[in-house]
Amino acid sequence: MTIRDALLRARRRPRHLGAGSPTIYRGDGYEFVELRAYVPGDDVRRIDWAATARSGELQTRVVLEDVALTLAAIVDESPSMRVGRRRTLLESAREALVCWFAAATTQDRCIRVTADGITPPSLQRSPHATASVCGSAAAFDAARALRTAAAALPRGAALLAIGDWYDLDPALDRDLADLGARFDCTALIARDPWYDGLPLAGIVRLRGAEGGNIRAYVGSREREAFRTAIRRRETSLLARFETANWRTGILREEDGAGALAAAFGLRRA
Amino acid sequence: MLAVVIFAALYERLQRRVTAHDLAYSDIGFFVDAARPRRWIPRALQGFWVVALFGIVLAASRPHLSVPVPVRDGQVFICIDTSGSMASTDVFPTRGQAAKAGAREFIAQSPPGTKIGIISFAGTAGVVAPLSSDHQSVTAELDQVPLPNGATAIGDALKLAAQLLPSTGHRVVILITDGVNNAGTDPTEVAQWLGAHHVPVYTVGIGTSNGGFIPGTSEEATIDEDALRAYAAASGGAYARAQNATQLRDALARLGRVTSVQRKPVDASLGFAIAGALAMVAAFLTGLGLGRYP
Repeated sequence: MTIRDALLRARRRPRHLGAGSPTIYRGDGYEFVELRAYVPGDDVRRIDWAATARSGELQTRVVLEDVALTLAAIVDESPSMRVGRRRTLLESAREALVCWFAAATTQDRCIRVTADGITPPSLQRSPHATASVCGSAAAFDAARALRTAAAALPRGAALLAIGDWYDLDPALDRDLADLGARFDCTALIARDPWYDGLPLAGIVRLRGAEGGNIRAYVGSREREAFRTAIRRRETSLLARFETANWRTGILREEDGAGALAAAFGLRRA
Repeated sequence: MLAVVIFAALYERLQRRVTAHDLAYSDIGFFVDAARPRRWIPRALQGFWVVALFGIVLAASRPHLSVPVPVRDGQVFICIDTSGSMASTDVFPTRGQAAKAGAREFIAQSPPGTKIGIISFAGTAGVVAPLSSDHQSVTAELDQVPLPNGATAIGDALKLAAQLLPSTGHRVVILITDGVNNAGTDPTEVAQWLGAHHVPVYTVGIGTSNGGFIPGTSEEATIDEDALRAYAAASGGAYARAQNATQLRDALARLGRVTSVQRKPVDASLGFAIAGALAMVAAFLTGLGLGRYP
């Protein structure tokens, strides 16, 4: 199964409604996916009468429909993503983004969402052009990017959002929930490069990727406090996105594509 | 001082270099909240270095500090007033007797080796005991101080002390009197001369505020505190007031301790250099221990 397949399946069975939700898209399905129990609202033409007779309960045939997808992506390209041990988180994000748009077919639309608007505004013919990530000197405005997505994307679009989410204010939880209800949303949370421990000890100087620096003493007490805090932060972010009905994954600096596949519960090809 | 300021600025600039000790982090605010790193430690280390350099720069400027050092070869003349007013009994038993008791206390408090002499004065001044480091014999000579009688020639007593004191060394004159000068040389002039030759005059005014009558006369024995303050000030000494025998003993005992030390300029370069070097070594070792230096 591919990411596209997973998106189509999810489209038929929005996750927030559970696996038994109605098949709401009509069309000439040609690829059988599965049989499942009938739920009120299912197209009666999809009822498999033979299977119903065998089981004694109404059964609906779920087929893969030939419909176009809208793949949208928000990527935090701010300096805070340009940190890492061996390579930057931004490189990993780019890898995930390429993988995301690679899932699109020629009739699908691919859209990049930024705080300033969407790119391109019309049908995208070449998905790979949208996957370019060049980095930005400005700080990432998560609130504006999410609100732009909410305003610009068509209902049912698949949205991928990649970032470290340092500026994800709790006030945005409502926006996240709104997006989660209208779109098939996936969030990749960049894992802190020093998740497994700070590499330095003693008097060190820390440069903020987006400005500021401090000179301080980092001992075992500080390292332990930091270790605990980043784990708590990551867990909290995952919980917030999942509560808002987002699919979640952890973006590690070494494998962006793998992070995306893992978010969809897929094995990386 | 300029070197210290330049060093502090240079140190700050060097600390801002991007070095292998630097770590780029996504969000510095989150890091500070999460790890709560101790930021005062690098500041303290920087302060350590500045203090170390300050000590060394100070040592190079060869500072001299005025410090009190014990005097082993001091020379002190005690001038005791034996004028008629010293027979007054407002200080028990008499001003004269109390003055002698105070002088004994002063001698007892003086360090061994200090040469002490006694001059008594009334209308004229005379030596009771020449300068001697034998404190016992000087104390014994106190009994030879004449009984109170006659005028008060404070200037003559100071002049005699000035003549008998050697021209060098730590020299002090103690004047025990009720301060009403009425004969001989002007004491202020002599006090100024003594002051110019680095001989302070410590004056001790004896007598109560109300004063008293001189026994056998209707004359009132008073005290001229202003004059005594002036003599002390003119010579670089100090004035003390004693209204009874105990106060007099205490004042003279205190003077015994004061006159046994002398403020001398001492070259403090070595001390500052050692302190600076130790601070520098300590700063370097501390920095090394805190992982600041490769």
